[in-house]
Amino acid sequence: MAKITAQNIDTYQEKLDSVIKQIGTETDEKQKKKYIREMERLRKDIAFYRSGKRFSRETKRNMVAYSFIAPNFIGFAVFTLVPMVFAFLLAFMKWDGSNPIAWAAFDNFKKLGSDTFFKAALKNTIIYCIGTVPLTMVFSLALAVVLNQKVFGRGIFRTLSFFPYVASLVAVTAVWKMLFHPSKGPINNILYTVFHIPQSSLPKWFSGGLVLLSMILFSVWKYMGYYMVIYLAGLQGIPGELYEAASLDGATTWQRFRYVTWPQLSATTFFVVVMLTINCFKVYDIAIMLAGGGSGELTLNATVLVYYIYQQAFVNWDLGYSSAVSMVLFVLVLAVTLIQFRGQKKLAD
Amino acid sequence: MKSMHKKQVLSKIIVYVILLIIAALMIIPFLWMLSASIKSDAEVFKMNPFQWIPDVPKVSNYTDIWTRIPFSKFVQNTVFLTIVVTILQLVTSSFAAYAFSKLQFKYKNILFIAYITTIAMPWQVYMVPQFILMRKMGLNDKLLAIICLQAFSAFGVFMMKQFYEGIPDELCEAARIDGLSEYRIYSRIMLPLSKPALSTLTIFTFVATWNDYLGPLIYLRSEQKKTIQLGLKMFIGQYSSDYGLIMAGSVLSLIPVIVVFMILQRYFVEGVAATGLKG
Amino acid sequence: MKKKLLSVLLATTMVASLAGCGGDTGSSETAPATEAPATEAADSGADEAADTSDAEPEKTDETADASSDKTTLTWAIWDKESTPYWTAMADAYMEANPNVTIDMVDLGSSDYMTVLATELSGDGSDFDVVTIKDVPGYATLVQKNAIVALDDKISADGVDLSLYNGATDQVTVDGKLYELPFRNDFWVLYYNKDIFDKAGVEYPSNDMTWEEYDKLARSVTDTTFGSQVYGSHYHTWRSTVGLIGCLDGKHSIIDGEYSFMKPYYEMVLNQEKDGVCRSYSDLKTEELHYSAAFSSGDTAMMNMGSWYISTLISNLASGEYDSSLCGNWGIVKYPHADGVEAGSTLGTITGLSVTSATDIPDQAWDFVRWASGKEGAEVMASTGNFPAIMTDEVVNTIKSLDGFPQDENSIEALNVSNLYLEVPYAENVSEINSVLDTYHSMIMGGEISVDDGISKMNEEIAPLVSK
Repeated sequence: MAKITAQNIDTYQEKLDSVIKQIGTETDEKQKKKYIREMERLRKDIAFYRSGKRFSRETKRNMVAYSFIAPNFIGFAVFTLVPMVFAFLLAFMKWDGSNPIAWAAFDNFKKLGSDTFFKAALKNTIIYCIGTVPLTMVFSLALAVVLNQKVFGRGIFRTLSFFPYVASLVAVTAVWKMLFHPSKGPINNILYTVFHIPQSSLPKWFSGGLVLLSMILFSVWKYMGYYMVIYLAGLQGIPGELYEAASLDGATTWQRFRYVTWPQLSATTFFVVVMLTINCFKVYDIAIMLAGGGSGELTLNATVLVYYIYQQAFVNWDLGYSSAVSMVLFVLVLAVTLIQFRGQKKLAD
Repeated sequence: MKSMHKKQVLSKIIVYVILLIIAALMIIPFLWMLSASIKSDAEVFKMNPFQWIPDVPKVSNYTDIWTRIPFSKFVQNTVFLTIVVTILQLVTSSFAAYAFSKLQFKYKNILFIAYITTIAMPWQVYMVPQFILMRKMGLNDKLLAIICLQAFSAFGVFMMKQFYEGIPDELCEAARIDGLSEYRIYSRIMLPLSKPALSTLTIFTFVATWNDYLGPLIYLRSEQKKTIQLGLKMFIGQYSSDYGLIMAGSVLSLIPVIVVFMILQRYFVEGVAATGLKG
Repeated sequence: MKKKLLSVLLATTMVASLAGCGGDTGSSETAPATEAPATEAADSGADEAADTSDAEPEKTDETADASSDKTTLTWAIWDKESTPYWTAMADAYMEANPNVTIDMVDLGSSDYMTVLATELSGDGSDFDVVTIKDVPGYATLVQKNAIVALDDKISADGVDLSLYNGATDQVTVDGKLYELPFRNDFWVLYYNKDIFDKAGVEYPSNDMTWEEYDKLARSVTDTTFGSQVYGSHYHTWRSTVGLIGCLDGKHSIIDGEYSFMKPYYEMVLNQEKDGVCRSYSDLKTEELHYSAAFSSGDTAMMNMGSWYISTLISNLASGEYDSSLCGNWGIVKYPHADGVEAGSTLGTITGLSVTSATDIPDQAWDFVRWASGKEGAEVMASTGNFPAIMTDEVVNTIKSLDGFPQDENSIEALNVSNLYLEVPYAENVSEINSVLDTYHSMIMGGEISVDDGISKMNEEIAPLVSK
């Protein structure tokens, strides 16, 4: 039998119809069975042709979609996905980047427990997160609420508060280090001249226990504007009727915030907190630039996980161990995100 | 009613006071930067009396910086990187986002989950293997490495997808019935609509690339390849006490980002809102 | 339509270029596992089976080459602009060997050894000769098999290692030497004569104990606000304080026991408390460079390496330093502990190595031999720097440099009796170094007491040393 094509599909269909008609009229059982077999064959052929055509349309659709995704996805897969998988594997290896890779099983992870520097880095990173996340959130929310009102010069204020975010870290840390200079900076100068704090006990902002505090304050200052914009967008999505209704019920400003704004913003808050947490765990440049000094090494009071990852990888060339520390970082971020996801779900229910 | 009015006035005053304090905190470091950039080293820390503008402004700081370090080379590298990365990021991620939001295809969900997971993964977790891979590909100490690193972020795809989800599907359906190809729907219908989202993504990408430090630190080793951030840091190391010069360099490094932000900012909040970044 | 075309065009070129990249990745992914053993085998083969067999065909190759075309040597260096001797060395060598071109690659000084280790990781490096800036970095490269042992070539060419005054012994790894020093710096005490004249105090001498030095520093200090004079200055490096204890020749930083550093930490911290020197946290915050500290004219004495001599001379000559502030300077020998001979000081060597990736090992070796030998030494001295081979001629060249202080003490200070390397080779020297650096910062920053800091050092380094 000839192949079904787009041109002869109709004749096939007609043939099928007539066969079905014949089955209806045919009385001879033997002949009827023959027609039924013929009908089934025809149906199968037509169905095959139709499905074949549908399949090719689907393929075409997929190809179009993939052509959209490909430019980004290939780059993404090569430079992000592949290294990520490699990172997981490397955590169980011993490698210095030149000599052959050796299997190390859990050795790298066992080493973590007795490593003073790792423990200090972990502790500092967590303290930094605990300090930075809530402070940034509260300040950016407050600022967004204020700037969402009709105030004079709103645009200017919005722009100003976004300045620190767009400014380069190297430049603004240089300024901060001058402002907070332990013996010459204006901040300590004010503490000395106005508050009469003796010269010997003026705070050394970038060493000892204070360095984490300086890092937290700096980070809140720098990233507040960014999260403010996200909150602002969230606030604009809250329907005005809700506030009108609340006002009619005689709600105070605080009550309106507590019972309208805050619950309406829960999705935004979730997003802000997750992004903040991820970014806080990634802290590196702030530490290096505020506490690193000329040679760039961090003391036990200022070291953070990413610094230690860098140090292990590019100075000591213990790539397996460096990856193991990375895995700790990853698990931390994952855990915090999951916990927040749970909390957000509970809140929503 | 009168007390209500009084209360309103009072709360307005409080709002303005808070705003002014915050604005001052935000802007003072920048004013200090500007002021220090035209001072001599001796004047920078002089407190009583403190002068914002010194009697004899030392404008030579702004000219000296170009000769003391290869600043123009750094600027050239950074501008090149930032522009290429931003364009690639905008094109590829809006392209991919269109497929994820408006087209049906096999493995759509799996692919998208792959993107989402990496957003939660700090870059530092895989920076070492990524570096090894790049070096194997011969990209070490090449500007191309930073382009490959920055241009295909999952964040951009995610953001643009959120935005396109907000555009009604009927628009595309109608266009399809009219016989427009998907490429045309993307370029004729979606792109013109996505100005706010693209502006927002431009700001994010521009800021991130312009100000990136760790990426260039790892990949760009030779002086001819360094970016402004690395150059500025190197400069601080070499001429640590030339405060005026450091500040002049810092001011110069800020100008392009601030210009880009000023141009695009009117779309900005709208963009963030529309892209659903708010959660 | 145009827009569409453009986007499609962009997309396709991207896909094409990325597909190329992607193709690469496949092979590179498996490469570390399969290739590495091969290079390893080749390396150890080259190390043990002597290079002679390996080198014979190469040599004939080269002589054949020499007549026809030039060989290019790629050499890793730092700060080409501000360091005159790189170009001087390369030019002198090229003059003597017209068939060789030297291509210098500037990797910057800030993270030089880190950058170099990165460059030399795996295969595909272009470098033939690399400069070795410090011993921890040297240790890393040796362990990574990135540089080759030179012993066979040294004995084949009859290089006399005794000329290096024992410096090479301190960087020998398991009986093998992987670098030859071409530059050797030692620590001296710089002082600003104007400050001593103004205070009416006698200049420092070539034979001072640390107690005498401490007293002297205090006697010229002026803590009046606005016109401070610092009696001493210590750069933020660990070498400026912690290493003083190594000068008696009985201790070194790879000992694993560091109580010998205690008196010197206490001396410096007390000076800081009394305003004799700048505070460490200030220096850290400002990232103040030592040259800025000395050239600003309010630092009476500063301990620093001999490399600063040429910087001072050239910057004073070019007018970058104000000669009314620091033009009248001198040097004396490093102070010493009670009962130790004067003239003992710390040293640091800069070496040259041949990479294992080079395809012209003989040519590379020839340059290393030349640069670290007598010829190279003369070039170094003519630029005001200290070559690894110190001869009377070298001392003469340096002391007759235009701008070198002509008082007897400064000239005498160039004679070193005992030289101890800041960091000798040890297996974990890179890790030891970073532990010591961390606690140095903490002790100096007042984050931890001297005793606690030292006992932490002992505790952390014990496992690294016993390994």
